[in-house]
Amino acid sequence: MNSKGQQALRTPPLRASGGIVKRMMQNWELYLFMLPAFVYFAVFHYGPMYGIQIAFKNFIPSKGVFGSEWVGFQHFERFFNSHYFWDLLWNTLSISFYELALGFPLPIILALAFNEISNGYFKKSVQTITYAPHFISIVVMTGMIISFLSPSSGMLIRGLEALGIDAPQFLNDPAWFKTVYVISGVWQNTGWGTIIYLAALSAVDPQQHEAAIMDGASRFKRMLHINLPTIIPTITILLILNTGNILGVGYEKILLLQNSLNLESSDVISTFVYRTGLVSAQYSFSTAVGLFNSIVNALMLITVNQIAKRTSATSLW
Amino acid sequence: MQNKKKGAAVLLSAALVAGLLAGCGTSNDKAKEEAEVEVVVAKEGLPIVNEQISLTLTAPDVGIQNWKDMDVLKEMEKRTNIKMVFNNAPKESFDTKKNLIFSSGEYPDVFYAAGLTPAEQMNYGEQGILIPLEDLIENYAPNVKKVLEDNPEVRKSITAPDGHIYSLPVIEFNQPWYRNPMWYNGDFLKALGYDKLPETTEELYTYLKRVKEEDPNKNGAADEVPLSSVNLRDIRTWLLGAYGIYEEEIYVDDSDVVHYTPVEDGYKEYLIFLNRLWTEDLLDHETFSQTAEQKKAKAQNNQVALFSDWNAYMTLGGEPSMDDPMFLPVKSEKVDKAVIAKSKGVTTGAFAISKTNAYPEASMRWVDYIYGYEGAMLFNKGPEGVLWEYTDRDSLTKKYLPVPGGGDREDYRATLTPNYGIPAPTISIPEIQLGLTTEFDEWVMNESKTKLLDKGSRIPYPTLFLTAEEQAEVTTLTSDLTTYVRQMEAKFITGADTFDNWEKYVATVTKMGGDRMSEIYQAAYDRWKQS
Amino acid sequence: MVKSMRESTSDKLFLAANYLYLALALIVVLYPLIYIVSASISTPKFVNSGEMWLLPKGLTLDGYKLVFSNPKIWNGYGNTLLYTVVGTLLNLAVTLPAAYALSRSDFVGRNFFMAMFLVTMFFNGGLIPLYLTVKNLGLINSIGALILPVAASVWNIIVARTFFHSTIPKELQEAAHMDGCTNLRLFFQIVLPLSAPIIAVMALFYGVSHWNSYFPALIYLNDEMKYPLQMVLRQILVLQEMSAETTGAAISGDIAQAMNNKAEIASLVKYAVIIVSTLPIVALYPFLQRYFVQGVMIGSVKG
Repeated sequence: MNSKGQQALRTPPLRASGGIVKRMMQNWELYLFMLPAFVYFAVFHYGPMYGIQIAFKNFIPSKGVFGSEWVGFQHFERFFNSHYFWDLLWNTLSISFYELALGFPLPIILALAFNEISNGYFKKSVQTITYAPHFISIVVMTGMIISFLSPSSGMLIRGLEALGIDAPQFLNDPAWFKTVYVISGVWQNTGWGTIIYLAALSAVDPQQHEAAIMDGASRFKRMLHINLPTIIPTITILLILNTGNILGVGYEKILLLQNSLNLESSDVISTFVYRTGLVSAQYSFSTAVGLFNSIVNALMLITVNQIAKRTSATSLW
Repeated sequence: MQNKKKGAAVLLSAALVAGLLAGCGTSNDKAKEEAEVEVVVAKEGLPIVNEQISLTLTAPDVGIQNWKDMDVLKEMEKRTNIKMVFNNAPKESFDTKKNLIFSSGEYPDVFYAAGLTPAEQMNYGEQGILIPLEDLIENYAPNVKKVLEDNPEVRKSITAPDGHIYSLPVIEFNQPWYRNPMWYNGDFLKALGYDKLPETTEELYTYLKRVKEEDPNKNGAADEVPLSSVNLRDIRTWLLGAYGIYEEEIYVDDSDVVHYTPVEDGYKEYLIFLNRLWTEDLLDHETFSQTAEQKKAKAQNNQVALFSDWNAYMTLGGEPSMDDPMFLPVKSEKVDKAVIAKSKGVTTGAFAISKTNAYPEASMRWVDYIYGYEGAMLFNKGPEGVLWEYTDRDSLTKKYLPVPGGGDREDYRATLTPNYGIPAPTISIPEIQLGLTTEFDEWVMNESKTKLLDKGSRIPYPTLFLTAEEQAEVTTLTSDLTTYVRQMEAKFITGADTFDNWEKYVATVTKMGGDRMSEIYQAAYDRWKQS
Repeated sequence: MVKSMRESTSDKLFLAANYLYLALALIVVLYPLIYIVSASISTPKFVNSGEMWLLPKGLTLDGYKLVFSNPKIWNGYGNTLLYTVVGTLLNLAVTLPAAYALSRSDFVGRNFFMAMFLVTMFFNGGLIPLYLTVKNLGLINSIGALILPVAASVWNIIVARTFFHSTIPKELQEAAHMDGCTNLRLFFQIVLPLSAPIIAVMALFYGVSHWNSYFPALIYLNDEMKYPLQMVLRQILVLQEMSAETTGAAISGDIAQAMNNKAEIASLVKYAVIIVSTLPIVALYPFLQRYFVQGVMIGSVKG
């Protein structure tokens, strides 16, 4: 049913092949459905969008967006000419890809695993417990990371020592920073990430399973050939959306884990902007960097979406 | 179900449309209307105005007590006949809120404890949003005027490059510390038989070495951490002094030459010294990664010999103790004596008046009251008879009263006065503390006097204004420079990089604009000196 | 999911491995959670020194006492509940119809709308113009400022669209149309009842973001009585942690002392606050869970 449904989506059904106006009239209610969202995006997103121009201005709050003077690409040049520009770009990209490579598949696997066990006390508790870490604030999260990894008193370090392993300097060694950052993120968000897949898995057609069991397919095979394909559209869409945020590594957690020793691998675009903004409220500069990020992100998303469009049945447009 | 959903959608669009319409009609010219009534502002004495007037005030709020319910502000209203309407924002978002206020064009009459940056003062002053205060000070602020006359360098520090004063400062002359002092663990000193504190870097090294090796905490394990720090920020300035450097970034030497610390030879010596401490495990190896709490936990576990904090007992735990002496700045062989940084004492941007204020004279008199003894006393300690009372009114000697309802005195004070944790416009006058200090306070003051002030501590670089261009350049330069310098500092100290690369490091810093830093600050200093 | 008549050996093995995997995941996740609970009732000294590593040490309830002694806390809970419920209902009312319309291939202009929404994922005018918009709409210091500017998220609309796309059978829509059923009835009487899982997920995603939100409150609210829970908790935390800022500049010794008195509690409160603020929303999850298994209906409708 699924694959058929999607094919139908790609080629408009015969019934609706009349004139555009006729088709619009037929589905006039759908425009009503769009109205609230349309108004919302128009008012709260497109309305304020004139603010982007401050990336090319020297914004002074009291002069306003329109009253501030134009400076052209000055802020962009400053960013590109920074001593650290390439380091920042590399760190941001590598953390993003690392996170994607590790953090993206795990929720899928976990969701599939949840789906295999029957509804009961165990399932409920495991799900609730794995979902809980999502709510731990960044301050507490980083506080825990630092205390678990402290060479003098950290649990994890003492654990490794007990096993006779010489523990690395997790917090000081630049080589370990990204791993610490990504793994702790995975720990915190994998359970939360399963939710969307669990919802998607609820659409699995039981008749397909019954038929497959008749054919003698094993549980594993059914998971691979029935459950997984059901959630493939969701997986694809989420992957596309995630790549559209490739430069979007946030600053809060990194800032709290950053120190002079790991700086060379921990400094990313957002922490750089944060530091610069601290000195004085540099709206223009951070808007310029934000604009750069957006353009790269948008290009990424368009590219990946194009690939998805060619190779699979699902894409954003 | 169906109707509910649809209803919600309709509601939303209706709300949006209504909101749009509501937004169109509002305009305000209220401020001016009130000025119709004839108000006489007294040049001196209280109350300030004959008819009660009302002003709006914006300040950062720490969220303990609603400002309109604070005893101090109620008392102030009674004394001055000026009613303040508070339009505050939470302290943590205050900077954002401040920018939103300037963007929206609806200014409060006065900014209180707003921490206006030099750039903000210049920008908004130049545009006329903040009014110049010199004439008002001259005519309506006897207390401020006197302070500025007695301390010409304060006037220089708060005057913008265009010659106007746009804000009043926080003035604190009684607190000499540039950074929290360092303290020795007294028990360790005793255990190792020290009755004289180390005076040179070598003696300091020897002491730290002995701490490491001779088990002064007598627990049989070599678990002592001789020198502990969080990111070096807390101890850097104190140790740089041993090499003739006043401050970690910019300082002016005795012959009026401005230096950018990270390329100085003395800075290299400092790195070499710390590298030695690191290599021999005398400097805490968790210096770069630990939190302040972790450092404290070590100290309370009786492991740390030397550390920085406001007072020693705050790190070591327990009651205030006079057995843990303050660090005596040490000197290296390179210099005749250690140099010591002293607090600037002046923080600009604490109070400003906006152009929409209908009563600038009254506003100035209002704030001037806080720069006199009576007002400063009121705002610092609350009204008489709540937390304190006079024991001898003539000599201004006071004593503390028991805290109403028990509990912490500071917590209670925070419900009385706005001057809690925010840079409020005020001056610290020695008489305020008369009779209120403890023996421990006296001891700390004496430690500061004998070890810092008497040894010639001075301000490393005065509070002053950079021009807009200078400010912009410094901002651009420091974002990269600071990152590189801090990173290399850690590398040199931990041995991740060797001193063979020092020349290369200096060349890189220079290339990144290190020499511009000293040039810019030199120019600004010369202007300040001449004004 | 489906109970088969008899499990084969390989199936049993697979199930066993599956249980093992989940048990492992459980332990890995559980440990830090226990740590937080223990830390919230332990003497901070033991937490900071690493002596407390699993079970509470030096039992104390001071952290919770401090949080609950704040008079604003219950008011904050009430406000947050209101903002979350109203905000989430609004989110669903905006998101679900839009997502459904976008999922329909016979909807002329869906690419236009999709593009319009996607652009906002990348480009925004920044805080100040948004603030001015909210202000001009007269929403400052009202619930409107907290929920209207976040009435929908592109991300969630797309996720919901994908769900409708891949789970609502095309045949269903055609059959309904054949019967003369309008899109309105189709959506409310057929599509929504079949989409319990995605409604639950959307409600959860939006609800959690309202629950955790503090920044709009920080910017748009002036009246303390309207502060949501997260604002109240942040104020408590910020107050406790002010000591960190006292290093440097001319701050009085009185404050340093006061902060020191609280430094102990500060690290305790951090953990207590986490528990106080997240327990309700974590407890909500098991109730939403049951909606994730209702997809069975689709098969039956189709048949």
